[in-house]
Amino acid sequence: MKSICLVNGSLRGKQASSLEFLNDIARKLPDAEYRKTIITVTGKVKDRYPEDILNSINVADAIIFIFPLHNYGLPGALMRLLEEYNKHVRTGKEYFKQTKVYVIVNCAFPRPADTCGEAIRVIQNFCRRLSLNWRFAICIGTGPVVVMTKKVPFLYPKLKHAYTEIALDIQSGDREKKGNYFIKPIIPERIISAIKHYYENKGQMIKKNKEP
Amino acid sequence: MNTLLISDKDAKTKLSEDLKAKIIRTLKENGHQVDVFELGKEDVTQCYGCFLCLTKHPGECFNKDIVNEIRKNIDKYTATFYLTPVLFGHYSSTIASPMNKGAGSNNLQVVIGYGDDIDEEEKSTFIDLTAKHQGKADIVHPGLLNQADVFVSESFGDNAKICEALKKYIK
Repeated sequence: MKSICLVNGSLRGKQASSLEFLNDIARKLPDAEYRKTIITVTGKVKDRYPEDILNSINVADAIIFIFPLHNYGLPGALMRLLEEYNKHVRTGKEYFKQTKVYVIVNCAFPRPADTCGEAIRVIQNFCRRLSLNWRFAICIGTGPVVVMTKKVPFLYPKLKHAYTEIALDIQSGDREKKGNYFIKPIIPERIISAIKHYYENKGQMIKKNKEP
Repeated sequence: MNTLLISDKDAKTKLSEDLKAKIIRTLKENGHQVDVFELGKEDVTQCYGCFLCLTKHPGECFNKDIVNEIRKNIDKYTATFYLTPVLFGHYSSTIASPMNKGAGSNNLQVVIGYGDDIDEEEKSTFIDLTAKHQGKADIVHPGLLNQADVFVSESFGDNAKICEALKKYIK
């Protein structure tokens, strides 16, 4: 039985779109075949993450990081987990170096290929530092909209295919490099742009930015 | 002119302390007042991505930590300098808190990474993380970082060069 570690990098609890995506991918990995551990990051960790959480990453055959894009990078809470895990293994703790690593980025922006690159590179750098086996990413544009509409039949076939690819890749011994998946939104960009302008006008900080 | 310098107190090194001292000296020599905040992991809470600071109560985070206090005074500052270790090409979790909560100056934000064990790809990732996304990277870009810059220091020599480069903003 393979051991899978699913890391929820969002702090938004049940409201998190990332949690929806986590549940989607978890459903592709049946309990009869996979032992799944879910780690949810926290906003403020007293001293450090508990040893049992870090140990569950040590023994995973695959880690799937699911997180919202923050400032084109990782949420601080997820970054804290990576820092703690890095320290954990640097103290000599044994870990499985062939662990396969996947990423699902919940990106609010409509052009995920333009915006998710650096966050993916950070995880790739993390994998390289720890000799983990980077596989590929799924970057979902306008994540919350996808969550609201994902049950509509025939929408997002590429996303469903990408989930299946993760499940197949975990099972296979394949080490060949694979490309990332970019899921574009169904809402036209001009509508998204209008929503942006609404919040720009409402948001104090952004409004001030526009002042000369 | 008031400037704000935010650093990671849990990630102090000889290099970072030298960098910080040089930046403060450069700013003061050019007639600027510098407010320094050394933040640690225990001082900050992380951004929840709830957007309430943009919508429901603009400018204010529901988490009442030190970062919220810094953000309240954001108008005081003409520039913010972030000093952070480069970790996998990213800023540290501590510095992520003020950056993601928008606690930097609305006029100019300068992100300066440091480390003596940074590889080329990490350095490039770190620079792109700030530099590539200014202005028009995406249609829903929230209009931030129109004036931002990024540097990486791997040596004491780099520290001096960075301070020299900063003069274009502070003279």
